[in-house]
Amino acid sequence: MKLGKRWLPAHLLVWTYAVLLVVPLYYFIVSAFKTNDEIFGRPFALPSSFSFGNFSTAFSSADLGLAVGNSALVTVVSLVLTLLLAVPAAFALARSTGRTAVVIEKVFSLGFLIPTFAALFPTFLLAAATGLFHTRTFMVLFLPATAMPLSVVILVQFMRTVPREMEEAARMDGASTYAVLRHVYTPMCLPGIATVLLLNFLTFWNEYLYSLVIIGPDPSQRTVQVALPTLKSITGTDYGVLTAGTVLTLVPVWVVYTVLQKRMQQALVSGAVKL
Amino acid sequence: MRSSLTRRGLLAAGSGLAAAALPALSGCSSLAAADSDPDTLVVHTQLGTTAPGSPTYLAALDRFRKENPGLKVKNLINGDDLGQVYETSRLARKEADVVMVNLYDKTLAWTDVDATVDVGPYLDRWGLRDRVLPTALQAWTDARGRVRAFPYFATNWPVAYNRALLDRAGVDAVPTTGDQLIAAARKLRAKGIAPVTVGGNDWTGQKLLAQIIQTYLTADEARHAYSTGDFGGRGVRDGIDYFVALRDAGVFADKAQGLTSDLMTTQFNTQTAAIQSAMSSALAKVPEEVARHTEVGGWPLGPGAAHERPTIIRAFTLIGFWISPNGVRKIEHVEKFLRFMYRPDTVSRFIRESGRDMALRTDTVSTDFPLVAAAQRLGGDVSQVLLPDVYVPPAATQPLITATSTSFTRGTGAAKVRALLEAAYRSA
Repeated sequence: MKLGKRWLPAHLLVWTYAVLLVVPLYYFIVSAFKTNDEIFGRPFALPSSFSFGNFSTAFSSADLGLAVGNSALVTVVSLVLTLLLAVPAAFALARSTGRTAVVIEKVFSLGFLIPTFAALFPTFLLAAATGLFHTRTFMVLFLPATAMPLSVVILVQFMRTVPREMEEAARMDGASTYAVLRHVYTPMCLPGIATVLLLNFLTFWNEYLYSLVIIGPDPSQRTVQVALPTLKSITGTDYGVLTAGTVLTLVPVWVVYTVLQKRMQQALVSGAVKL
Repeated sequence: MRSSLTRRGLLAAGSGLAAAALPALSGCSSLAAADSDPDTLVVHTQLGTTAPGSPTYLAALDRFRKENPGLKVKNLINGDDLGQVYETSRLARKEADVVMVNLYDKTLAWTDVDATVDVGPYLDRWGLRDRVLPTALQAWTDARGRVRAFPYFATNWPVAYNRALLDRAGVDAVPTTGDQLIAAARKLRAKGIAPVTVGGNDWTGQKLLAQIIQTYLTADEARHAYSTGDFGGRGVRDGIDYFVALRDAGVFADKAQGLTSDLMTTQFNTQTAAIQSAMSSALAKVPEEVARHTEVGGWPLGPGAAHERPTIIRAFTLIGFWISPNGVRKIEHVEKFLRFMYRPDTVSRFIRESGRDMALRTDTVSTDFPLVAAAQRLGGDVSQVLLPDVYVPPAATQPLITATSTSFTRGTGAAKVRALLEAAYRSA
């Protein structure tokens, strides 16, 4: 297909946008192989060597292996808990027609209005009062609570698009409410579930403030976002090591995004068509 | 329609997950278990990853563990956020037993609010008071006579001059007066070399500004100015005028107001800047090929200065061992740990292996870190000014850094600099 001149501005914009995305990524990746002198002296040049020294230093000195394991544990269990709570809640709200359901749905939406910082101190008090301060358990219970508003609101919208006739047909086949959720709604809402999973994964994995305060600095428990800043030093940070550590912590994010992105794009496109 | 996963199966899977995950999440490795364990000493520190002295500290810790097989030591590491983390832990009564941190900002209030205890009685009971340099002990003692922590790391804060770059620019001698510094800066700029690099946007800029202002202050006047925020005295105004004159003459690197300590050390270490005011730990990181032709000295004096020789900062409050209320409950373990850390062989390791300056009496001299050793030898060749950290109220610390950044911006007049500094205290 030959493109006419009228496509030129679009091409230019797309390529400019691509460069804007790629340049910081390139800078980030090459910096992980450089020394401080190279990073600040020749920021965009290729590194003098592609040695993995910075990566091994970051991995061993900040104990990143254990930290990634802790982050994975907290994130995965929190995600499972979020889905276990949000999917049935959204299912019930999507199928209900009464006023109570409308009110409950709005209550979930009110969760968006709570600023993160405002909740920090009460959350800290709660953790201390429950005896779960300095444990990952509290974060695993707390993170799904913070994710419920967004998860429920997204899933309710998806579930409302499922035709009533599908449920009626299943009911005629003798399906229970649980079977309707399991075999009708859940498969049809997979793009929505993937969206919720991806958005919450990013939020949970990157969470810093609460993990720092609630879980604390114990290397056997701390998450990767708490471990990473220990590579900074007020009397001279080795930015090559810090960048290498950051690359390592982003690998799981890239993997999850790659796995879920098609589903999420599908969800976005289907949303666009509905609009 | 038959479900492949029954409700019972789902519940069983959920219970299994909970049974498997929850112990891993809380029980076996939680901090709560460690800090309440009477046989575990919990140390909260900034050493342990890439901070200067970390490898030596970790090696010392290993040795301590070997010498005390029945005693477990848990090392908690934080960077700049250590103060915040310790304070929240203290609120929950789950703080570490010993904290290793400097006397600055938040930590200035710890003894007052009982976040940590007065260690003076322990210094005497364990016979360690004589190990501490008297000046260091004084620096760690508050107005009510309480010793806030066991002094450990100190630092010299001289000015490092890259002789090779000065020679290349035609500067014959290390400048000792403001006029010589301005002349040197012009020659360096003519050769495309940045003169004095400084992190105008962080604590390094704040310290240098304080050092320059103190050119015209006695120790008592400096203490008064930085304790009260009264920058209206004659000496302070002369100091600010001197700073503005140097800045507007191009003494500082371009865009110094946006630079940080990292960029400062990098500019010096990569020889794009010829001069920096650097503490010992930064001097220890200067590459050998740069250190070879670097001299250390003081900050040049202006006309009519209150000091006889160029000035440096010497500080004894860099890192100390603070004892928490939880630590008091395990005081016999804390005693073992501190006796070990105060032992001459342990102290010597930090000097030899990491190039650290110590707040303790020792004859060991740093041999592998020539600039650190040179700074130690400066002695009477320089005059000493105060490190303002101990006198600045905690709430004014950050506003003061913001004021510093504006002060390093060209075009900010002396009256404006003074107003900014005073405003930092008013907003606190």
